[in-house]
Amino acid sequence: MSITSPEAGWFHKPTGAERVWIGLALFWCLILTIMMPYWHFKGKQNSTGESYRVEPAAFNERVDRFIASYEVGKMNGVPIVEPPPGSDIYMTGTNWRWYPILKLKKDQTYRLHLSSGDFQHGFSLLPLNMNFHIIPGYDHVITLTPTTTGEFPVICNEYCGALHHTMTGRIIVD
Amino acid sequence: MHPQPDPTPPPSEESKPHWIQRLMDNHWLLLVLGIVLPFLSYTIWGWVELANIPPATLP
Repeated sequence: MSITSPEAGWFHKPTGAERVWIGLALFWCLILTIMMPYWHFKGKQNSTGESYRVEPAAFNERVDRFIASYEVGKMNGVPIVEPPPGSDIYMTGTNWRWYPILKLKKDQTYRLHLSSGDFQHGFSLLPLNMNFHIIPGYDHVITLTPTTTGEFPVICNEYCGALHHTMTGRIIVD
Repeated sequence: MHPQPDPTPPPSEESKPHWIQRLMDNHWLLLVLGIVLPFLSYTIWGWVELANIPPATLP
């Protein structure tokens, strides 16, 4: 707010170049507004927003059953899980790790269920810059089709406590 | 004694400030709009979204 009020009659209808600039700005606002729903449906790195209510204990129990069914090894004490292509797969973020490590097949589609056991975490898949908020009490489902092979680190990009910077995970694609 | 007629003419449409000027000069209305519009478009929308999330089946 300015220090002094403008004099009465300060407003004049825009004309000439000012009118053109305002028109261009409104036009660009319209384009950007249209891009949001357009990219939601056409972009290939967006969540569909599919989510469900779930108790953290129930989700963790499902993760444990998932690991018991498909565990193929361990890396630094964390189970590596190789689920069948096309199946529902599970990962949980809990202070301070992403658990378990997933081993997936290239060009196969999975339904990745993500949830948190304690606080809000940020699932960040590198180097693709795919980022999703992971909230305790909600099962966030992402339809995932790996298109390149390799090992992809997962980090937490939402500050979650003293060891936030050590919260990592991994997705292996072969 | 009859009352004298008011010598000042009634304000015409041309002398009335433009509606954008009247809006921009009304700080309290701008404050109310700045609170009510985001509340309706974000907060209540979020409550509706949360209320419509179904329970997980965890296949």
